[in-house]
Amino acid sequence: MKAVYPIATRCIDCHLCEIACIIEHSQTKSPVSAHFLEGLQFNWQLSRGYADPAEAKAAVRPSPLSRCRVSANSFRFISTMCRHCEVAECVLACKNGALYRDASGRVLVNEKKCIGCWMCIMACSYGAITRNIDRQNVPGVAGNGVNHHCDLCPNRRTPACVYVCPTQALAYEER
Amino acid sequence: MINPLMTGNAPAADVQDLESLGICALKRGQYFSSMPEYYVDRDQAKCIKCLVCVRQCPYEATFYSAEMNIVTNRHENCINCRRCEAMCPTKCIRIKRWGSGFRPNEHWTEKHIRSLYKQADTGGVLLTGCGNDLYYSTYFDRIVLDASQVTNPSIDPLREPMELRTFVGRKAERIDPSGNGQGKPSTQKFPNLVCETPIIFAPMSFGAISYNFQEGLAIAASEAGTYFDTGEGGLHPNFYKYGKRAIVQVASGRFGVSADYLRSAAAVEIKIGQGAKPGIGGHLPGEKVTAEISRTRMIPEGSDAISPAPQHDIYSIEDLRLLIYAIKEATEYTVPISVKIAAVHNVAAIASGIVRAGADIVVIDGFRGGTGAAPTIIRDHVGIPVELALAQVDQRLRDEGIRHLASIIAAGGIRNSADVVKAIALGADAVYIGTAAMLAVGCTLCQQCHRGKCAWGITTNRSDLLPRLPIDYAAERLSNLLHAWSHEVKEMLGLMGLNSIESLRGNRLKLRAVGMTEEESRILGITHAGI
Repeated sequence: MKAVYPIATRCIDCHLCEIACIIEHSQTKSPVSAHFLEGLQFNWQLSRGYADPAEAKAAVRPSPLSRCRVSANSFRFISTMCRHCEVAECVLACKNGALYRDASGRVLVNEKKCIGCWMCIMACSYGAITRNIDRQNVPGVAGNGVNHHCDLCPNRRTPACVYVCPTQALAYEER
Repeated sequence: MINPLMTGNAPAADVQDLESLGICALKRGQYFSSMPEYYVDRDQAKCIKCLVCVRQCPYEATFYSAEMNIVTNRHENCINCRRCEAMCPTKCIRIKRWGSGFRPNEHWTEKHIRSLYKQADTGGVLLTGCGNDLYYSTYFDRIVLDASQVTNPSIDPLREPMELRTFVGRKAERIDPSGNGQGKPSTQKFPNLVCETPIIFAPMSFGAISYNFQEGLAIAASEAGTYFDTGEGGLHPNFYKYGKRAIVQVASGRFGVSADYLRSAAAVEIKIGQGAKPGIGGHLPGEKVTAEISRTRMIPEGSDAISPAPQHDIYSIEDLRLLIYAIKEATEYTVPISVKIAAVHNVAAIASGIVRAGADIVVIDGFRGGTGAAPTIIRDHVGIPVELALAQVDQRLRDEGIRHLASIIAAGGIRNSADVVKAIALGADAVYIGTAAMLAVGCTLCQQCHRGKCAWGITTNRSDLLPRLPIDYAAERLSNLLHAWSHEVKEMLGLMGLNSIESLRGNRLKLRAVGMTEEESRILGITHAGI
C-alpha cells in the first residue's frame, strides 16, 4: 500500500503541503478562487487547533481543512498525515463502522455514518485525524463533526502535497 | 533563534518594533532604514494569507497582522533575495525598487548614498558578501573566439573524440627517450590532479557555506571526476570519504589542519590571499560557530574564527618554500601543493617566486571573486581583473622557462563556459567556479552571505534554514552545470578545430580583442579582431 511518508530532515516549514491539500479538495481547484469565492482559510494560525469546537465555530474560525499538518518545535518540522496503516487502529476502534478500508487499501471514512465519538483520534498513533466541524451528523450535539483525514487524493496520480513539496520532504511510496 | 511564529500570536513582537511603535521615524541612527531600498508589492486581491512568505523570510521583512487579517511588510528589511516571490503559491508578490530612488546622480549613486547613511548611523565598517559588483571592464566580454572555416576543418564533438581531461600539477622537465633500457620512454613523475573537465569548485569553507552545499559540491565533484576545495574551514569528519576529490586549504588561521586532514586530500592549497579581499584576513563571527563547525575547525564553540591577514610564518618566498616543503614532507610527496594568491599588481613576479618556491599549482584569484564576508570598500576597490593577471603570469612563466613546473588555475568571475574557454586560452590549466556554483543551487546574489541567514540555505548553518537546500538537489544541479559547461567547452573546441583542451591552453591565437586599446591587448597578448 502506497502512502505519504514525511522526512523530517528535509522539511522547511513552508506549509505548502497544507495549502495544496486544501486546494485539491476545493471546488474550484485554484488557490485564489478557493480563498475568495469558497471562503477557504489557508491561514495556519487561524485554523490551528482549538479546545472547544463550539467556541471555534462561534468565533468564526474555520475548521482545519487540510488533511496534513506541519508540526514544529523550535527547529524541527514535520508534516503529519494518515499512514493508511496495515493494521489500522482507527478502523478497529470505530464503533459505528464509519471508517473502513477500501479495495485499494486506503483507510476511508463514510461521512454519513460518522457520529463524532472520536475514538479514531484516541486510537491513531500519528495524530493524523482531525475533526471536520463543518459536517454535523448528530444535530443534538453542539459543534460535533466528522472524521477528517488523508484520502490520498483519489483524482490524482501523486497526492497534491507530495507534488508541491519543494524539497521532496514527502515520499509517496510502499513501505 | 526561535521562529516568532511559533511563540503564538503576532510575529511582530520584537523589542525594536515595540519601541518604534512600528513607525519608521527619521531619528538618530535610523536614516538608513527610514529609506527602504525595495518595495514588496503584494497584490492583496490575490493574497490568500497562507503565510508561506512570512515563514520563508529570515530577515523578518514579512509579517501577518492578525487584527487586520492581512499579510504585510517591513519594507526596510527586504534585501531582495526573492525567496517569497519564488515560494508564493499564487505569485502575488513582486519586489520592486522603492520609489524613484534619489535624484539621478552619476557621481553620487544610490549605493554611495546608502552606504554613507548606514555608516553615519552605525559608525562601522560595512560588510558584504559575493563578489565585486561595481562597473569595471570585464575583459572576457571584449574577447571573442576564433572558428574554423574553409582552410581548416572544424570538428563535431558528438562524432569524434574530444579530450577534456586535464592534468593539474607539475610536469616533467623532459622525456628521456632512451627509457633507461626499459624499452619505453621514461619521465620523472610528479603527483597531478586528474580532472575530467577543467572546471574545479572554488574554495568555499564550511561555515561560510552550509553543510548541505559543501556535501553537494563533494558529490558533484566525485561524479564529474573533478575536485572541490574545502576552503579554510577544514574538512568535516563526514566528508573524509570524499577526500580523494578534495583540495584542502591551509590558510592563515590554520583551521582544521591536522596530519589526517593533509593526508586525506588530493591536493593541499596554501591560501595567501583571496580575490575579493586581497591582503586582509577573515572573520567568522562566534554566533556562526556551531557545534559542527567547531568540530571541523577545531576551535571552541561560539568563539570567533579569525584568520590573520598574513600567514605569520610567511614573510618571503623563502618562508613560503619552507611551508610548501613542510607540507610535501607531511604528505610524503604524494599530492601536489597549490598556492592561492589574489590578483594584484606585480602578480607575475610573485607567481614566478611561488613557482620557484616549489608550488605545483598557482591559483590566481581575480577581483570579481566572491567571499562569504568582506568589507564592501575592500571588495569593491582592491585587486585587478583576473584576465590581465592570468595573461601576465602565463607569459612570465613561459619567458622564464618554468611554465611546466606549475599549473595555473584562474578564479574569480567565471560566469559561463565561454569564460572557461577564454581563461584557458589566456594560459590557465583549469578554472575555479564559486559564484557560478552557488547560482546553480539557487543563489540570487542578494549579497547577504555575511549575515548567516541565507534564505536559500546556501550560506547559513541555522538548522531551520539548512533543509532549504537538500544535498541531493545541490549535487544534481551542480552535476548538471558541469555536464552542460563541459559539453559547451567541447563544442567550442570543435569549432576552433581542436580536439583536446591541451591544444587550447595558452593558445592566444584563438582569441581576438574587440574594442580594446593597444595597451590592453598587449597586456593580454592578443591581437585586435580583424587582423
